[in-house]
Amino acid sequence: MQAAKPAKIKFTADHWKAYGLLIPSLIIFILFMFWPFMYTIYLSFFDWNMVKPTKEFVGLQNYKEVLTDPTTYKVFGNTLLYIGLLLIINLIIPYILAFVLDIVLKRFNHLYKGAIFLPSVISLVVGSILFTWLLNPVSGPAAIILGWFGIDMPIWSKLDGWVIVVLSLITSWKVFGYNFIVLYASVNGISREVIEAARLDGVPLWKIFFHLVLPMSSATGIYVFIITIVQGLQYVFTPIKVITQGGPNYASSNAIYHAYHEAFVLYRTGHSAALSILTMAIFILLLILEFKFVERGIHYEN
Amino acid sequence: MKGYLKLFSLLALMLMLAACGKSGSTTSNNSAASDEKTVIEYWHVNAETQGGKTVEELVKAFNEQSKTTKVVAKYNPDMYKGLMQNLQAEAASGKSPAVVQVGWSFLDYFSNNFSYISPQEVIDQHFPDDRTFLKDHFLDNVLELAQNSEGIQVGIPYSLSTPVLYINKDLLKEAGLDENGPKTWQEVKEFSKKIKEKTGKHGFYMQEPADNWATQALLESNGARMLSGKKAAFASKEGIEAYQLLADMIVKDKTALHLPWDQGVQSFIDGNVAMAYTTIARRSQIQDNAKFNAAAIKSPAWEGKNVRLPAGGAMLAITAQEEKQQKAAWEFMKYLYSVESMAKWTEGTGYVPPRKDVAEDENGLKDFLAENEMMKAAIEQMDGVVSWTSFPGDAGLEAEQKLLDIRDEILGGKTSVEEGLKTTEKEINKLLK
Repeated sequence: MQAAKPAKIKFTADHWKAYGLLIPSLIIFILFMFWPFMYTIYLSFFDWNMVKPTKEFVGLQNYKEVLTDPTTYKVFGNTLLYIGLLLIINLIIPYILAFVLDIVLKRFNHLYKGAIFLPSVISLVVGSILFTWLLNPVSGPAAIILGWFGIDMPIWSKLDGWVIVVLSLITSWKVFGYNFIVLYASVNGISREVIEAARLDGVPLWKIFFHLVLPMSSATGIYVFIITIVQGLQYVFTPIKVITQGGPNYASSNAIYHAYHEAFVLYRTGHSAALSILTMAIFILLLILEFKFVERGIHYEN
Repeated sequence: MKGYLKLFSLLALMLMLAACGKSGSTTSNNSAASDEKTVIEYWHVNAETQGGKTVEELVKAFNEQSKTTKVVAKYNPDMYKGLMQNLQAEAASGKSPAVVQVGWSFLDYFSNNFSYISPQEVIDQHFPDDRTFLKDHFLDNVLELAQNSEGIQVGIPYSLSTPVLYINKDLLKEAGLDENGPKTWQEVKEFSKKIKEKTGKHGFYMQEPADNWATQALLESNGARMLSGKKAAFASKEGIEAYQLLADMIVKDKTALHLPWDQGVQSFIDGNVAMAYTTIARRSQIQDNAKFNAAAIKSPAWEGKNVRLPAGGAMLAITAQEEKQQKAAWEFMKYLYSVESMAKWTEGTGYVPPRKDVAEDENGLKDFLAENEMMKAAIEQMDGVVSWTSFPGDAGLEAEQKLLDIRDEILGGKTSVEEGLKTTEKEINKLLK
């Protein structure tokens, strides 16, 4: 009956309760997300170094500078490379591993689960320091072991490309376990009957994975996909800061670290804000594309 | 059984920590009760492992003997940059501590952007007896370190460090070289080559943190200057020659390492690099961890030239705004600069004392130096100390960054020294305009 007159919605006690429950999270969102976001937009039009009492209005100058700076493109290129690597290491591999552990392997499952998840609880700063030592190309354990086989470890922290690969690996130490557990839960939740039926029919494992498991767990898959990109890029920040500070010559910097570098190392607040807003715009674009093309094929159980 | 034991020890540890926290807070309550004392804040960057304990000791000892002032020490993470950031936040909210440590590379930035008062001014206004304190106790070239590009005495040098050459005597001997190490940069290069040939280990590592400190020592000792007037001038003939030597060792001879700072020092401590050029502030780390016969020798010179070594570390500046606070700040600083406090500071941190009479004084470092050979190298080269160049103006930090970027290019073998330095110098001069 009410649906017939949608124009007039009465605020019932339930409505109030609902809004009341929303408010705490809304306040947090506004205070820590929307307000800083607005302020960043505001700052991107000014030349300021965080101390001067006056901010000088420069219009679109900051954006012009960011877009003409070759470093910006280098950094965005690196960002893409990071995304690609993180997706392989933290989405595809744990997906396969979850499948293998749940459906193929039958023994020691609990041990694997625990062992794989464990590193996620350790601080990434500690991890980074640990890996600096482990992967010290001259005298670290990894270099010594490679030395037994007569292989010289490349000085990864100073080589383009290599440095991104190693930093991604260090980051995945943190991200891998969580992603794995989430994917495992999802794969585990698929009805056993379907899979058993397929196995009885002699369907090969790879077909089970692509035609049954992947589509049926795709809702979680897409969540991990997005979280890998968004969170992964933020997590990479820590090893960059601890190990390379973006070097050599920005070869390991990504969009997020570079924004930090501009603002808090060089104190070019406007430049940094403009870069952040551009990054934001790119991510919004990616999300729109995702909703348009990927979301359609997703299977939600309920 | 074992599980219980673990649980029990954990509990005991927690109780102990809790107890410590308690006692700490009660003492501060007690002294806060005597409210005639002026309370001032002292901001420092010394973590527990880097002299933080000494800071606490000194502050505690000061508070016990002072009738008028109570100092609260506040630790700032992430070194001098972190402190600057916090100071910015504090200034934005209209407050300020009384005494702060300012890293040399932030000297100009600090004096351009923050409101401070020159220590001599405070002395002249309130402490006529101390009028000649600075002149009497500090070397001129040391006092100059704390003057900004306009020649104003912004603060007083406090933590001083200089680059020294750490050597692995065992490796040098194995390679059949003089175990007292090289005296000149040319010798460093030859030594490095021999070491690689004879032992297969790397010969040399020069520190590569996010600053150009060591680079300045290398270039300026050869007669180049980072700045001339207000313009960058490092791409001179001497500058290029000096940089070339380092680049050749890394790129051409492959006898030296191109690594981040921590990994480089680690490799020296592990015995995989025979010589490391880095700050005296790393002394205790190297002394405590190296399992071979390690020594520190004076910075190498260029043949026939005098060394010019930039000072690392920090000065103390007064940022107190009210007169009462300023007075208290000097009282505290004078205490920190006493021979006894300076000696404690050196022992706790490995910094070189900026005051000239501390090294020989009985109450000072006489005994300490007799036992710590490594420290001697740093103290002996004090007359070669010059200020650490900070590029002037708002774009100074950006200029500094440019020089770091080109370091990676050159040492990575992507650009030639001459081309790299020349274009960077041009870019920096465009920025500084």
